Amino acid sequence: MERTDVERIHQAYLREQRRQKWLVTTTQLALLILFLGAWEWAARAGTINVLLFSYPSKIWAMFVEKISDMSLFPHIGVTLAETVIAFLLSTLLGVLIAAVIWWSPFLSRVLDPYLVVLNSMPKVALGPLFIVGLGPGLLSIIATTCAVSVIITTIVIYTSFKEVNDNYIKVIKTLGGNRWQVFTMVILPATIPAMLSSLKVNVGLSWVGVIVGEFLVAQNGLGYLIIYGFQVFNFTLVMVSLLIVAIVATLMYQGVAYLERQLTSQFK
Amino acid sequence: MTTLPPTTAKIELRHVTHLYVTPRQAFMAVKGIDLRVEEGEFICLVGPSGCGKTTLLSLIAGLEKPTAGKIFIDGVEIKGPSRQVGYMLQQDYLFNWRTIEENVMLGLDIQHIRSKETEEYALHLLEEMELINFRHSYPHQLSGGMRQRVALVRTLTCQPDILLLDEPFSALDYQTKLKLEDLIIETLRRHKKTAILVTHDLNEAVAMGDRVFVLDRNPGRIRKEVMIPPHIREPLPFYARNEEGFTTLFNQVWKEMEASSHGTD
Repeated sequence: MERTDVERIHQAYLREQRRQKWLVTTTQLALLILFLGAWEWAARAGTINVLLFSYPSKIWAMFVEKISDMSLFPHIGVTLAETVIAFLLSTLLGVLIAAVIWWSPFLSRVLDPYLVVLNSMPKVALGPLFIVGLGPGLLSIIATTCAVSVIITTIVIYTSFKEVNDNYIKVIKTLGGNRWQVFTMVILPATIPAMLSSLKVNVGLSWVGVIVGEFLVAQNGLGYLIIYGFQVFNFTLVMVSLLIVAIVATLMYQGVAYLERQLTSQFK
Repeated sequence: MTTLPPTTAKIELRHVTHLYVTPRQAFMAVKGIDLRVEEGEFICLVGPSGCGKTTLLSLIAGLEKPTAGKIFIDGVEIKGPSRQVGYMLQQDYLFNWRTIEENVMLGLDIQHIRSKETEEYALHLLEEMELINFRHSYPHQLSGGMRQRVALVRTLTCQPDILLLDEPFSALDYQTKLKLEDLIIETLRRHKKTAILVTHDLNEAVAMGDRVFVLDRNPGRIRKEVMIPPHIREPLPFYARNEEGFTTLFNQVWKEMEASSHGTD
């Protein structure tokens, strides 16, 4: 076969790939426009309750207004700060607890039923305890969020610690390594991919914790805006807040996903 | 019977028995093993699966303590993993997150003996194995045979006197395996190492070893020792296979293996 033929077939393949990608993007966009259009139409025609569902156009107008008069940014800032702090804290704590129970098989057996119970329990229910104990503010919101994600982080990371191939540990041991070296030279680096993918789960959980925490106590933040909008029956405000939560949470998730790709490129 | 031989052996196993205990049973992996390996010797252990070959290596490496009996290296009883003993596994188990160079330096890091000299020695070994151009590559960029060569360098970097080889060729294709056999024999002879190879490839055992031990299973015992004559053990494994008498020896080991596999348990 001629070289040009090979080149031609490859070009055709690339063209087909591009066409497929374009088709997917177009369909995605069309779906969104259709949904918003149907919503707007249904609201104006009175088929849905506008008090509850508002209008896309009104939501957009309020969004633009709140962005341009800067009144949204403090709320976004507070919620984002809480989420990031709680996210980092619960991840760190989860890794730490996982490391401790990895270190001591005895402790891991002792703690096993407690972890199972704690994991099955809906942790947001601890919210009231934190509010009384830590005061109605930032601290109790962060504590609620940590409670939501720390146990599952611990379990996921401890499981990945245990799944590291024993032969890697054998390599370290035959070279004369101790348990600390096994941990720092094999267990920790080998589980970086698992840890990063548990981070992605934690982003979502942190948002749950923070929004619920803000429902309970906050004077500002996006969760507060949602509950405030609900109390004054301004559901356009609720929708705007939801829109922002969706955008910021997606950005954060993409940030972690980017970090994951960067850090795990050599783990093939 | 049990009087001490006049000279100390490089490795000596005296009445070594080892049990594995699980909730369901206590399983005797090896029983009453007596074995002397002289300095610079290349010993092969063959036998049916479950005959305790790998257990013996783990015991000599100090990864496990024998239930009964004693193991000596240079006349000193072993208490745990020692710098004198290097271990090579079935697969390379290189660390994907370290470059080839950093993989090779692993032992130096662990033993806190990383210095300009030891690093230079490691790089020299990489050069010997024609891997120096890949020192900054990551393991996934290398072929299987290259990776196993890196693993060999990693083991040799800490300058062990004794090398334990646990089926190091079993995951490689045939051509790569033959080349690596020659390379290992050459390297070990040049550096005057003592080695024990565990394999289930009888052909390989006869071609590489100075002595071949056929083991029985349930429990693991030494069934038969086969001496390899000088004209077969001196050439490199690739050429040893063409030597006269190779097939006869192979058949002898084969028969022992057959008897061992079908023997009464």
